[in-house]
Amino acid sequence: MKKTKEKSDKAQKVIDRMGQKLNRQMAGSLLACVHCGMCTESCHYVLANPDDPTYAPAYKADRIRKIFKRHFDWTGRVLPKWVGAASVNTDEDLEELKDIVFGKCTNCRRCTINCPMGVDYATFNRMARGLLVSVGVMPEGVAVVSKDQWETGNQMGVLKEDYLDTLEWMEEELQEELDDPNIKIPVDVPDCEVVYSINPREVKYDPRSIADAAKIFHMAGEKWTMPSEGWDMTNFGLFSGDDDLGGSVAGRLFESVEELNGKKLVISECGHGFRSTRCEGPNWAKTDVPFEMESSVNTMLRYIKEGRIKVDKSKNPEPVTFHDSCNNARSCGLFEEPRELLSLVCENFQEMYPNRAENYCCTGGGGAMSMSEYTPRRLKSGVVKANQLKETGADYVVTSCHNCVDGLTDVIRHYELDMKVTQLVNLVANAIVIDEKPAVPAEAPAEPEVLEEVPVAVGAEGEELPLAGRRILVADDEPDQLDFISMVLEDNGAEILTAETGDEVLEVARREKPDVLTLDLHMPGRDVGEVFELIREDPELQDLKVCIITGKPELRKLIYDRSVRPPEGYVDKPVDEKRLLLNVRKVLEVVHQDA
Amino acid sequence: MHEHSALLQFAHTLHWYALAFMGVVYIIRITWFVRRFKAGGERQAATGIPGMTTPSKGVMYSLGNVAMPWAMESSRRNLFFYVQFVAFHLGVTSAIALLFVIPWAPGWLENQVVVLIMQACIGAAFLVGLGRIVRRFGNKHMRAISSPDDYFSLILLTVWFFFSFLAVPNSTANGEWHMLGYFFLASFFLFYVPFSKISHYLYYPFTRYYIGKSLGHRGVFPIVRDPARG
Repeated sequence: MKKTKEKSDKAQKVIDRMGQKLNRQMAGSLLACVHCGMCTESCHYVLANPDDPTYAPAYKADRIRKIFKRHFDWTGRVLPKWVGAASVNTDEDLEELKDIVFGKCTNCRRCTINCPMGVDYATFNRMARGLLVSVGVMPEGVAVVSKDQWETGNQMGVLKEDYLDTLEWMEEELQEELDDPNIKIPVDVPDCEVVYSINPREVKYDPRSIADAAKIFHMAGEKWTMPSEGWDMTNFGLFSGDDDLGGSVAGRLFESVEELNGKKLVISECGHGFRSTRCEGPNWAKTDVPFEMESSVNTMLRYIKEGRIKVDKSKNPEPVTFHDSCNNARSCGLFEEPRELLSLVCENFQEMYPNRAENYCCTGGGGAMSMSEYTPRRLKSGVVKANQLKETGADYVVTSCHNCVDGLTDVIRHYELDMKVTQLVNLVANAIVIDEKPAVPAEAPAEPEVLEEVPVAVGAEGEELPLAGRRILVADDEPDQLDFISMVLEDNGAEILTAETGDEVLEVARREKPDVLTLDLHMPGRDVGEVFELIREDPELQDLKVCIITGKPELRKLIYDRSVRPPEGYVDKPVDEKRLLLNVRKVLEVVHQDA
Repeated sequence: MHEHSALLQFAHTLHWYALAFMGVVYIIRITWFVRRFKAGGERQAATGIPGMTTPSKGVMYSLGNVAMPWAMESSRRNLFFYVQFVAFHLGVTSAIALLFVIPWAPGWLENQVVVLIMQACIGAAFLVGLGRIVRRFGNKHMRAISSPDDYFSLILLTVWFFFSFLAVPNSTANGEWHMLGYFFLASFFLFYVPFSKISHYLYYPFTRYYIGKSLGHRGVFPIVRDPARG
């Protein structure tokens, strides 16, 4: 490729690398578009922004097609203006392209299945993302998460000790729940039938789903294990378009299963994780996988069908609907099994329309949840999903994807819908009938299933409250949140201190020396990241445990970019009472080796 | 039958050269496409419900998609647009067929039924072409994605339909201008098409084949729709 004087180095690299990335499928898609406009109304961004043609899939695709035509198709070389060919010349051009490929498309692939020509826009949009990432042009959130996954092996930067600690904690919860001290969450056990891999989000925000899965494996008598390394089945390479990252992450997971000589890799409920591991991983890692892989949805369904677990659907009486993850339904054909499973564990399942491969994106796909600069657009486009949800009249929306859980939660909150989001693992665990010993290993029968996620002491006479004697500093600038968090913790025995600005946090922490600080990441005054760093550096506050509370996961970088000990816990907003309590209790149990 | 002028004879001859030119360019383009771009493969085991979806079923579904307006939401919700698509392409087929019927089987056009059918197809395509011109100029989404080639190809094709409609009876009783317009435009098209978006049909089998194969392997094609709503 000839370098012209006007081109920036980055622009030139993008063009050169495009030539290396293109395969026949992509080139065909770039050549075949006739600009018929049939794809336009298939995109949720268009439906939410009917007056803005820049959201149309064909328009967005043309931003990439122009480059292809200019440099790889002879008509574009000879008559560029006539056929709409144009190059990228400057870093500003790349920034504009970034805005389109990251900020106006979730790679949901809905336009692909609605294109008469079979143009697979999502595939070459991902390619374009990868090209930009290769020259360092990407949203900050993408850079942060990619860095985490490269460096720590998981996209949320969960440390091994935190991961193992969470497994141990959930094991204890499960033992308590089923009144059986022999129940284990096995780690690194060789020669198991099942190696279970999870999303780091489960460790950070939703540990209960790990306990629920463990309960199901236990009740099914499964010989299973979790790996201590290479346990993250998510893969930000799918979103960033970075095949090297994709191959590396998938490879780590495959290696861990091989090292443990596992027979089958079971992937917990996560759309992009399932697609990345099951459908793309072997291609990115350029390896043939010598073991079976399946979604935990298939595993749970099989256990019920084989009679290994018994379920009682009356335990889940509320009306539920199902949201198909784009990656599951439109890229991996996983849509009938979750429905079959739902019909077995729920009394009142109501279909959402359109559904299966034609479902609309939750708005959080394609890594959109990590790109805060595009949040207003994302939420605006959520009106399509909000209307779909509302029409079902369901109380719960079930989804087999952690990304969708976050995307749907945001949509529900933004459009003030009276719904909750849950996953199949939670419903199956809730519906399990515990009336006999599990097949293997032989253990004492447990008590009947209890619905509560954690036994919350209510201050009955003579009973010690779980947070009794603890001093907790609650920092939040939203009065409602401050009151709610304070009330929950106070009701459980804690002595509460409050702060509404960064400076106040420092002042109260230094003066009162609380046991725990629940820290909102978005507060007025001094930068919260700086406040966190100052706390960590203060020798008098070394014992202070910090639990981050945020509605914007991308703000984690405020904390992660600092070279101090990471916080002990995280809670996602909107704050759920039980989850808050679980996390604060967990945070209090953390013991640092350097402490 | 009137004698054709030398100019019309030339127009007849020219379009064969143009056709040969188009063929050569297409061979070059396909060779470039296949040799320059390697087909990507998939290593992973198939997903989806066993037996319901396979790569071959996916390919069949994908290629047959054009004749299944119910298969895609974009067609299903815009049936009128789909009808226009069918009419437009039947018109194109008829107008192209006419290029071969006039020199090789002019006797067919002495049958008024054949003439009426061809004129109906081409006339409908002409009307659709007019509608599409209005849509391409009038709809802001269409304007945003249109290149000069898009406008030019559509206008030229619609004008060609006009001349094709008049040329169907293969009569020069009232002059040759319509026959000249039809053949010269056809020749121009044959020279121009390989470089324009009209050559989309060259890549169509590839894109539909590959997307069908991939999504068939991944358990998505043929698309399963909700039984309750068909």
